[in-house]
Order: sequence, then structure tokens, then C-alpha cells
Amino acid sequence: MLNIQNLHAEIDGKAILKGLTLAINPGEIHAIMGPNGAGKSTLGYVLAGRPGYEVTEGSVTFDGQDLLALAPHERAALGLFLGFQYPVEIPGVSNVQFLREALNAQRKIRGEEPLSGGDFLKRAKAQADALDLSMDMLKRSVNVGFSGGEKKRNEMVQMGIIDPRLAILDETDSGLDIDALRTVGRGINSIMRKPDKAVLLITHYQRLLDYVKPDFVHVLAGGRIVRTGGSELALELEREGYGAIAA
Amino acid sequence: MTLTLPTTRQEAWRWSDLSGLEALAATPASGAARDVDARWIGEGPRLLFVDGKFDEGRSRPGPVIVGATGAISVHPLARLAAGPGWTLTMPRDGAAGLIEIVHVATGGASHVPARIVLAEDAQASIVESHVGDGWANRLTSIELGRSARLMRAIRIVQTSGFVSLRDEARLEAGASLVSTVLAAGHGGSRVDAAISLDGRGAFAEHGGALLARDEQRHDAAIVVRHAREQGTSRQLWRAVADDQATASMAARVEVARGAQKTDGEQSLRGLMLKRSATINLKPELEIFADDVKCAHGATVGELDAQALFYMGARGIRPDRARALLTQAFIADALSRIGEDAVREAFQAESETWLEARA
Repeated sequence: MLNIQNLHAEIDGKAILKGLTLAINPGEIHAIMGPNGAGKSTLGYVLAGRPGYEVTEGSVTFDGQDLLALAPHERAALGLFLGFQYPVEIPGVSNVQFLREALNAQRKIRGEEPLSGGDFLKRAKAQADALDLSMDMLKRSVNVGFSGGEKKRNEMVQMGIIDPRLAILDETDSGLDIDALRTVGRGINSIMRKPDKAVLLITHYQRLLDYVKPDFVHVLAGGRIVRTGGSELALELEREGYGAIAA
Repeated sequence: MTLTLPTTRQEAWRWSDLSGLEALAATPASGAARDVDARWIGEGPRLLFVDGKFDEGRSRPGPVIVGATGAISVHPLARLAAGPGWTLTMPRDGAAGLIEIVHVATGGASHVPARIVLAEDAQASIVESHVGDGWANRLTSIELGRSARLMRAIRIVQTSGFVSLRDEARLEAGASLVSTVLAAGHGGSRVDAAISLDGRGAFAEHGGALLARDEQRHDAAIVVRHAREQGTSRQLWRAVADDQATASMAARVEVARGAQKTDGEQSLRGLMLKRSATINLKPELEIFADDVKCAHGATVGELDAQALFYMGARGIRPDRARALLTQAFIADALSRIGEDAVREAFQAESETWLEARA
């Protein structure tokens, strides 16, 4: 599904990713862990197409298509979803309007009919209920006045509504209390754990992995993957620290 | 007629370019009023002016009287509006539903005065639309009696040409005036107002949204004078400028000696869609009383790059994301329109303008 080969990327001339290679197949959940500054968030941004992140070498294909040649909205339409570490506030644009625009824009690119207002609201309510977010909150401006945890749950509501094939979740667990972590973990499993879908979890800590069991754990350090293992690697990291393993 | 127009050397006109008005005034008017039917919003009284002349056949003026108005002004543009115009007089406790006025310019210049006089506790709501291609110059003289309430909404959506508006308003105690202007056409404009809160506890709000692209110029110059105590005023303006366009807003609050407990607020915000555009903001306060609250803010910025990426990452096309963010930027200004149908029509007008961006 996603094939990253020898990816090099830089911001403002500073090299961050230095030869990252990773393949993700349908049905798999991968976790990328690593110390601060290892390039975890950069990887997410490069895959989603954030301006300012320049790929200097390597390739990324999604279902065989050159992902790097596409604009962010085209990548989204292919089924790629980036869950933001810091979801953006958009005053004056309601969540409902934002998501309906987003969903129908994606459907249009895929040649599908737009979803009617009623059908959309039904879908939005089901997802909001599943993540303990009220419809009142979805009628407010995107992320404005939301707490850190609410923003993260809102990311998952968005993911549920958009129903992507590949989700890259950038520190979705940060800022969540234990209950919210469980809710979000359940959300990720119910939306994404399917044979035709895949997830790339970017995280600092092991605790989200208690709820979302990864098939593969990768350690990112110095801009490349230095070790790959099963879910037991996350526990080892938690015990020994990145220093010992990334060295 | 030889025009004597203000020049940019005069402080109040420094951002205005009136140099094309003489030539515009000399263009022939075709008199063919197109584009009218789509402009009516409700089913109430309506007046159509074509090149400043009342079109009786396509109007039903209701309480509005057409003819000499008695409105006069020394304002350099508004003083030209000395011929026949329209007058709305509401008696004590009188209420008029939505009154609609459409001004079509087909070329040349038209100068029309208007007078709105509301007696104690009377209320009225008026929406005006400027369409077409010439120079439409208007003076509106407003007198609001005790606790009278007037709501005005004005959209400037001419295809080309120029619209100059001048409001001169006096408010008695407890009276309320809410004016919202939307400039979302392809011509230029100058919106001028002098509002005086003559009575205790009067309320005035004058604001709107100016949308400019290509070489368009929009210019608003508003003065609110608090002459008595406990008055409240709000000036909320949003300007959007694209390409080589210029949008300027000068908003002034004057608080006279003794106008204690004045509550004045100015919010002037500009959004540059391109760095080649120009936005001028000039908030001014002149306060001669010591127990007043006058808040003012003036900012100019660009669309939030993070929000654009966030919307793109969710699948929204860049042009649509820009339109949504711009719409959100001006939403505050249009939200002040009280009549739902009018507000929706104005919002749709601004959306059309935003979507027309290539």
C-alpha cells in the first residue's frame, strides 16, 4: 500500500530524514517510535505534503502512485489521512461545514456522488457518539475553544467520517488522559483495523500501544529506521530507553 | 457640469482615487436596466432607480415618497445630490417591514439624495443594492427620534464604475442605527458616514466588508461622534484585497466633553490575499471625557498557512480552502444584519465574489 524508499527530506536546508525505508501493507498497523528530533513528525508532514518540507532523495508510492507528485488534497482523496499532533483552529468555519466540504471534495475527485446534508449529519453523529464528542461541539468552529484532548478526539471523529485507507497518526496520544486514551484507542481500532486499511502510529510512548496493538514497531533515530521488531519492541523501549536501543 | 472633486492631498481623501469620475460621468447611459429581478429579496415595498430616475412601473414604494427631500450636505460629493430623491417618514410607534431599493446605473453619473426620519419608537429596515456600470452618488440624511430603530444594509455590486455613499445621521436618546455595507462588485467605492449620537444612551453601529481584486479601490471613512453620555458605538470593518487592489478604512470616534460612560469599539481588520495588494487602516480616537471605554484594534494579515494545509490534508482544494477562510474572515461583519433573508443574500453575494477568483 505505502512504499517509502530511501527518503531524504529537509526543512530550511536542514536535513531531517536521511534515508528512511518502510513498507506498509493492507491490514497492518505500524508504530514509529523515537526520541524528540528524530524526524517522526517530519515523516508525517512529508507524506501529507506540507509546504516547506523538501524531499531531496528517495521515493514514496501509495498503491503504486507517486505520492510526492500530488498536492495535499489529492493525497487525501487517495485515502491518506494525517492525524495532526497539533490540530489547527479555524475560527468562523464550523466542524460540520469543514468536514462536509472535505468529504464531498474527496468524493468528487473519486467520481462519487456528494453526500446529502442529512446523510452527512447521520454519519457525523455516529462518529461523534463513538468518541464522546457532542454534536454541539461539531457545530462550533473547527477546534476553537477545544481542550487538547477534545482536539485529538475531534481528529478521530474526522477520521471516522472521512474513512481513509491509510491513517498516519502523529502523537494522537499526547495530551490525553487515561479515559480519553482508551476512547481514542477504541476509535482507531473500530475505524481502521480492517483488512484493506493500514495505520502508521507516530508516538513517543508505549501507552497507546496497549490499546492499539501494532504488528510492527520501528525505532526512528537520526532520520532513519534503526531497528524494527514486533510489539514487544515497544515494551523494551519503555524499559531501556531510546539511548540504549538507538545507539 | 465641471466637477470639483477632492484630491489625495486632502487627508480625508488620501486613499481615494477620484480621478476617473469625470470621465465616468461623461459616458453615455444606455438606460437599459438589466440584472434587476434577481436583486429583490422580499415581497414588501420596493423602489427601482435607473440612473437616478425613479422607475414607477417597476416599483411599489409603500411608505416611501419620491420627490424633493430637503436633504442637503456640504460634503464634497454628497452636495451634488441635490435633485429629487426619496423620503421615508415613520410616525411615532410606526413600523415598516423590509423596504428594498435597487439602484441601477447604466452609465454616466446619477446623484440622488434620500431622507429617513423616524419619530419616537418608530422602526424601519432598508436594504439597498447598487448594480450596473456608471457612477452612483448618494446622500442619505437620517434623523432618529427617541428610541427609534433603523437597520440598513447596503450592497455595492456594480459590474464596473463607482459608487459613492454619504450618510449623515443624528440619533436622539436611546435610538439605534445599525448599518452594514458589503462591497463585492467589480467597480470602485467610497463609503462615507458621519453619525452623531446626540441623545443619551444612543447606539450606532456602522461596519461591513470590502472585497477588492484586480485594480479595484474601496475606501470607507466613518466618523462617529458621541455628543452625550452613555452612548455606544461599534465599527466593525473587514477588508479583503487581492491582486493590485486597495482597500482602505478610516474610522474615527469622537467623544465630546461630558459624554461620560461612552462605550466605543473599533475593529478594523484587513486580509491580503496577495502581497501586491494594499490595505490601509486608520483607527482614530478623539476623547474629551474621562470616564469612557474606547477599544480599538487594527490588524492586517494573510490567510493562515497552517489552516490551508490542514484543510488540504482533509481533501479541500486550495482555492476552496482560501474561499472558506476568507468567508470566515468577513463573517463577523455580515452577521450584524438582522433580517435573515438579507443576511443570506449578502453572504451569497460575498461567496459569489470569492468563488469568481480564478
